[in-house]
Amino acid sequence: MVVRSYNDELKYLEKINDYCWRIKIGFQPNMKVEGCFYVNAALEKLMLDELRNACRPGMAGGFLPGVKQIANVAALPGIVGRSIGLPDVHSGYGFAIGNMAAFDMNDPQSIVSPGGVGFDINCGVRLLRTNLWEKDVLPVKEQLAQSLFDHIPVGVGSKGIIPMNARDLEEALEMGMDWSLREGYVWAEDKEHCEEYGRMLNADPATVSMRAKKRGLPQLGTLGAGNHYAEIQVVDEIYDKWAAGKMGIEEKGQVCVMIHSGSRGFGHQVATDALVQMEKAMKRDNIETNDRQLACAHIHSEEGQNYLKSMAAAANFAWVNRSSMTFLSRQAFAKQFQMSPDDLDMHVIYDVSHNIAKVEEHLVDGKPKTLLVHRKGSTRAFPPGHPLIPVDYQLTGQPVLIGGTMGTCSYVLTGTESGMEQTFGSTCHGAGRALSRAKSRRNLDYTEVLRKLDDMGISIRVASPKLVMEEAPESYKNVTDVVNTCHAAGISNKCIKLRPIAVIKG
Amino acid sequence: MFKRKLSALQYPNSDSLNANDEQQFRKVIVWLEENKIKKYKADKRAISDVNSSNWKNSFEQYKRDVLCPVKPNLTIEELDWFLNFALDIEYLKNKSKYEQHSLAVIKSASIPNVVADNPLDCLDFGGDDFKNGVDCIAKMLKISPHPNPLVTLKACSKLICSRLNPESIKNPNDFIIKGTPFPYEDAIKGYNLGDPILSKAAKSLRLLYIQNLRDLQTQCNESIVFVQNMTANPKTDTKLGKVGK
Repeated sequence: MVVRSYNDELKYLEKINDYCWRIKIGFQPNMKVEGCFYVNAALEKLMLDELRNACRPGMAGGFLPGVKQIANVAALPGIVGRSIGLPDVHSGYGFAIGNMAAFDMNDPQSIVSPGGVGFDINCGVRLLRTNLWEKDVLPVKEQLAQSLFDHIPVGVGSKGIIPMNARDLEEALEMGMDWSLREGYVWAEDKEHCEEYGRMLNADPATVSMRAKKRGLPQLGTLGAGNHYAEIQVVDEIYDKWAAGKMGIEEKGQVCVMIHSGSRGFGHQVATDALVQMEKAMKRDNIETNDRQLACAHIHSEEGQNYLKSMAAAANFAWVNRSSMTFLSRQAFAKQFQMSPDDLDMHVIYDVSHNIAKVEEHLVDGKPKTLLVHRKGSTRAFPPGHPLIPVDYQLTGQPVLIGGTMGTCSYVLTGTESGMEQTFGSTCHGAGRALSRAKSRRNLDYTEVLRKLDDMGISIRVASPKLVMEEAPESYKNVTDVVNTCHAAGISNKCIKLRPIAVIKG
Repeated sequence: MFKRKLSALQYPNSDSLNANDEQQFRKVIVWLEENKIKKYKADKRAISDVNSSNWKNSFEQYKRDVLCPVKPNLTIEELDWFLNFALDIEYLKNKSKYEQHSLAVIKSASIPNVVADNPLDCLDFGGDDFKNGVDCIAKMLKISPHPNPLVTLKACSKLICSRLNPESIKNPNDFIIKGTPFPYEDAIKGYNLGDPILSKAAKSLRLLYIQNLRDLQTQCNESIVFVQNMTANPKTDTKLGKVGK
């Protein structure tokens, strides 16, 4: 570990333009490529303060600052292009959250790292539209929030209410959303508007440990805790009227439902199992990294392949999970308004994954290459005309769903050609933490947080209110800053802004 | 080598011919000329003497006489050409016999001979009358004609079926597609081919392609729904977990 003063560290950082900084080779040892991060003035201050704090003598322990983590990723074998920090970047396990990195599939040295995907595999956001308006919902807001809360199991240790046995789970792991379709929990059109059509084809439940399956089975169809939520939102602003129209969003005031959840304990166990395997593989194959948390294996090694297959199974788990909650949300609305979900036009606008590694084709220095793209706290944002996005969005670009934090706005962006060139078609994923969970608990009072939400006219249902301050808006970066930076840097375009009116949380 | 062609011609040693052997090659050529091709009269065959030192020259002359285009010294190609030539002669000699077994004859024999009472079936689709008629209909329907009148006719039929059926004449507004104008020339990026007309054409093709893809996706969705009718049975059991407070 290099020890330098803050001012010496700054020599390795260079501001390329108003929204992008370069991390030069040498900032951390063995960097194969440069790093970069996207920030505006406000986020830049947060980023550099974090580095300055870490440079103070006696500051050891905890995660490394985000900039350092981005640079450490740039030192991993087989990385191509740049190690990229998106505007919502903050420290995480090994990889920073909001870091994307691509590895050349044809380089035998290239690695896959569970830290580059995160513990909540295929954590993502799904957005449903309705044909309801704010005025239809406001009078029954409380009842609707309660109805959602009565339908969707939430909170630590919650259990799903969709009956499943071990065999169902095996099938769901292999089939992803096709399982939900077969069983009739979702609509055919839902699959169409989902990344990967809701199913990773390389999933292999046989590579998943018994322990993961045991943990996962009862949790399927539950929202979970932490930053996960289901929100009733209202369209607050439309920036791109035409693209919004393509998504079925016509006017301000239209009501939507956002579901933010992942693969629950199942994904966590898959990642934990893989980390143990990979530590052994690293020793055997002499893979050197700057940080022990960056445990990884060659993509084509047995451990690497096993991880990719079990990660895909976890991704499928998450899609089934979000699909089950889509079903429950539709039921909740149907009951409240005495209308079928069909008549309420409750279509899925899109479903994004922001913790995943995928094999994709990209141009690197003008040449087509097959890459393993790690996106941790980063959303895919493919441009118009890309073959992997649904036909309805061929002209607008892929919808990118950015979930805000409790009580703040959420956004829908669209992918751009420039993002394809700059960031391998990736953009931010949310607000990004500014205070650690522990710090939030120390600094904030939960009753105060709940009162503030009430003042804003947001109905809230929480399973464990005493953890609410971890997710308070004060604990996060400003999502508007994050989204504006992405828009200004050209890596995605602002399309719709949504404002919450009711939240249910773990 | 050439086993099938040789046996079709009833050549005596069809199984064991080696065309790369000069002597055998000469023998086949002579056999073909004497028994099948018969270009020369029996007493004027200079190539018949397979041992002659002048055989190659006689052969080249023979090739010119039968208009064989194959260049000298390409034995295999030459032999192939002569075999095909002989087969051709053989076929033409017995054309009527072979035609009894042609696909068209077999088909028409197995299908009862129906006299079409539809006058349209008796039209001459290649004639000018037909072409002018179709162009006329197309003009009335404001469809730009295709060089092949059958394609034009298909387009006319499509329009008539979808827009001029009794249902749609009664309620035209239900069938007229109401699109919102879309600035496709600005909105579709990456199709600037230098020539504005070419770019416009490419963008139009792109839109048609997207429409095709949409139709395909709709068909996929319909199939899924069809299968769901048999497999779907969504259930919930609130006793399994805890919901609400």
